Amino acid sequence: MLTIADRDGAASVAPSATQAAEVAGSSIDFEDVTVSYGGTVVLDRFSLSVAPGEILALIGPSGSGKTTALRAVAGFVRPASGRIRIGEQDITDIPPYARGLGMVVQNYALFPHMRVDQNVAFGLRAQNADPALIATRVGECLELVGMSSFARRYPAQLSGGQQQRVAIARALAIRPRVLLLDEPLSALDAQIRRNMVEELGRLHRDLPNLTVLYVTHDQSEALTLADRIAILRDGRLNAFGPSRSLYQAPTSRFAAEFLGRANLLPVTVSQLDADGVLARVRLGEHSLSVRCELQLAPGHGCLLCIRPHALRLADLPTGNGFRATVETALWQGDTQNVTLRVEGVALNLTVSPSQAMPERGSAVWVDFAPHEATLIADEPAHG
Amino acid sequence: MLVWSRAARRMIWAVGGLVAAIIYGAPIIVIALASIAGHWNGAWPNDFTLRHYGNALTGDSARQLRTSLETGAIASVFAVLSGTWAALALRKIAPLPRRLFDLFFFMPSAVPSVSVGLGLLVAFSQPPVLLNGTTLIVILAHFVLISAFSYGNISAGLARLRPDYEQVAESLGARPAYKLWRVTLPLILPYIVGALSLSFALSMGELGATEMVYPPGWVTLPVGIFALSDRGAIFDAAALTMLLVAGTFAILLALVRISNRATVR
Amino acid sequence: MAETTTAPRPVVATHGLWVVLPFAILCAAFLYPLFLIALQAVTGPDGALSLAQPLRVLTTPAFWRAFLNTIEIAVSASAGCVGLGLGLAILLSFVPFPGSRTAARLIETFVALPTFLVALAFTFLYGSAGILNETATTALGLAHPPVDFLYSRWGVVLAEVTVYTPFALRPLLAAFSLIDAAQIEVASSLGAKPLRILRQVILPAALPALLAGGSLCLLLTVNEFGVVLFIGAKGVITLPLMIYDKAIQEFDYPSACVVAVVNVALSLGLFSAYRLIVARIGGRHAGVV
Repeated sequence: MLTIADRDGAASVAPSATQAAEVAGSSIDFEDVTVSYGGTVVLDRFSLSVAPGEILALIGPSGSGKTTALRAVAGFVRPASGRIRIGEQDITDIPPYARGLGMVVQNYALFPHMRVDQNVAFGLRAQNADPALIATRVGECLELVGMSSFARRYPAQLSGGQQQRVAIARALAIRPRVLLLDEPLSALDAQIRRNMVEELGRLHRDLPNLTVLYVTHDQSEALTLADRIAILRDGRLNAFGPSRSLYQAPTSRFAAEFLGRANLLPVTVSQLDADGVLARVRLGEHSLSVRCELQLAPGHGCLLCIRPHALRLADLPTGNGFRATVETALWQGDTQNVTLRVEGVALNLTVSPSQAMPERGSAVWVDFAPHEATLIADEPAHG
Repeated sequence: MLVWSRAARRMIWAVGGLVAAIIYGAPIIVIALASIAGHWNGAWPNDFTLRHYGNALTGDSARQLRTSLETGAIASVFAVLSGTWAALALRKIAPLPRRLFDLFFFMPSAVPSVSVGLGLLVAFSQPPVLLNGTTLIVILAHFVLISAFSYGNISAGLARLRPDYEQVAESLGARPAYKLWRVTLPLILPYIVGALSLSFALSMGELGATEMVYPPGWVTLPVGIFALSDRGAIFDAAALTMLLVAGTFAILLALVRISNRATVR
Repeated sequence: MAETTTAPRPVVATHGLWVVLPFAILCAAFLYPLFLIALQAVTGPDGALSLAQPLRVLTTPAFWRAFLNTIEIAVSASAGCVGLGLGLAILLSFVPFPGSRTAARLIETFVALPTFLVALAFTFLYGSAGILNETATTALGLAHPPVDFLYSRWGVVLAEVTVYTPFALRPLLAAFSLIDAAQIEVASSLGAKPLRILRQVILPAALPALLAGGSLCLLLTVNEFGVVLFIGAKGVITLPLMIYDKAIQEFDYPSACVVAVVNVALSLGLFSAYRLIVARIGGRHAGVV
């Protein structure tokens, strides 16, 4: 009972903003966490801090260690070394049932032998909470996810999206210090998934202090929902930063390609601007201006990263552009996808469908704004 | 669908049906016929009577039926308890010892029942524990023989249980005992009921070990049926067999209904 | 919660202690008696260890007759179970008829029935005064019953085939349910005849299940007691029946123990083979329960 009522740092479940704002969410800190299964290291000296109240998405290809990291927070895998903290508390050696975390898994795992309300009440009952408190809390949580009218149904009578909401309500009912979401949308079909992403966003606006660790392999979910994104590769943190800046200025080739389609052109640095923000690079015979956050010396080879939608077609040479040959042009309904070739490298750009389609084989000018492209260090491609 | 021509399919069905009927239908039908046969001098019974059932439901036979039901109920409940316990306990230990224990718990199903009976006779006819000639030794023999089957059923159920139910329960704050009682056991209930049904049915039909160990005061139905048929009272034996089959099925059906009602709709 | 959570996580090793109780029960009620059987077998009348007893029993012709009978009956019955089981499984899985699922269920319930039921029924069906013989003698005007296999080894074999075919059928049905129906349809559309599909698609998929079911049948038929006892044919003595005769009819416990040791060793050997096959094909105890 004490564990429910007196927990510090729990997010409020009630949709009232004042109540929700009163409590502060907890941070999650991974400190040099290493996990191995039978000799295979799946998480390698992983360090990351999740700030209170933020949604942090942990993304990466399968086998990158993202689910292992989440399960280490939940307590189902035990780190071989390193510590995990929630708020001020070191939880590394605490059993899962004493951690006070909400968790939603891929297939929801709603208890099939319990009604919706019994599912939501499960955590409070397990901790011997007061029946009156349980009744109120279950009501609040079901209302929060819009499932009040389904309280007496059994999980088998619900659709995938409805089961998902019940699973979230069940996790929130114990007023968790943090909410762990493990691929929560991957079992839904595309249309419902889009709606659920929006709903999760709304839920977090209702509970702005709730810390959420969100594991997914889908970069668009991460970009839509997360304040910050951490990209894992082979058990290590590959890139980390606020979603928007990580997308626009990825810090690695892997991050650039994982977060969305990226054009990567090999260039040579010719000159750095005095203020250190922009650099001039050479692409074949062209000299281009681009944002640069790397420490680079002139003459250094690196990759110029531009998203397909940041490129524009032009008929005449402009300030920051190069000449390329049209290979294919594909109309795709809401966009047109044009493949060009420059200096032997293929690159993609998307243009609005109303724009006239360039002719195959013709030479065009392509330009971009310096701050919409970035330089990243060259490294072997993944996969 | 392997055979596409309708005629060929019909012929295969006819042949298969005939074989299955001769092998599986005929024995049951003929026992049923014998159990109500008054006289049987030609190919078919000459007349019919319920006398054999009358005999079966009175005197020795009725006592044997009760003995079998009691033995089956006690032995199968204990077998399921121990099987559930063993299957749950084995999940917690390392893979190699787990496989060894698994082999051990299955072993009673692999050994001839007569040897199990002989072993119990030898072991419990001498100190420290004397059970020879008691009811308990019959129940113990049944327990040993059926325990492997309950263990197998329940550990198969646990192996099929997705781990995330229990993990979510834990993350919601359920301590091990609460999780076991409210999540794990309800989810494997169909397997527990299956184990109970199978154990009970096997115990009801057990003959080998019982023949070795039964005392005069605790004669089970199969032992009684054998005694009748040995004496030549085969119609009475048939009636008792029908009762054995009917009793077994009635209890199996009841258990299945309970399990259906208790689990997910 | 924060104040209660400093307790260290329970040490994993103590979880293993839960297995002690059921294992202790198994030891007391099963392993200890088996051990005493073995001990009794090699203990002379004076209480000292001696091989005289086992040597005496193992050199009698009666023992070897029982041993060979057991093996022959078990091998023939298992072959029959596998053959019949394969036929039924193919019929039920690939030439399904309305109600074929129910039929499969009904056949499976035979697993729960006492084995002597079939032996008893066979007396009425194939006995010297049974339905088959009476019908034949009346119809053909014969002086003697024409069918006379029941009180021979073949009676036992046929009864065991009936009783144990479901154990061969079950893993086969499971294996067949994994064959993609589209595979057979594609093969048919490419012009393969049913027999060819059977040989090239179905049988290879069934092989592991056949081995598992066959070895399980072998194990169960080696151990079978009720059928042999009920048919009660004079010449048909198997190892389990010999144990029963020695112990209960002749009160010769030491000899019974020697025979039991051989029988248990044979069974455990078959059990290991069965478990190896099942482990190899990855099915979990296919068909044991």
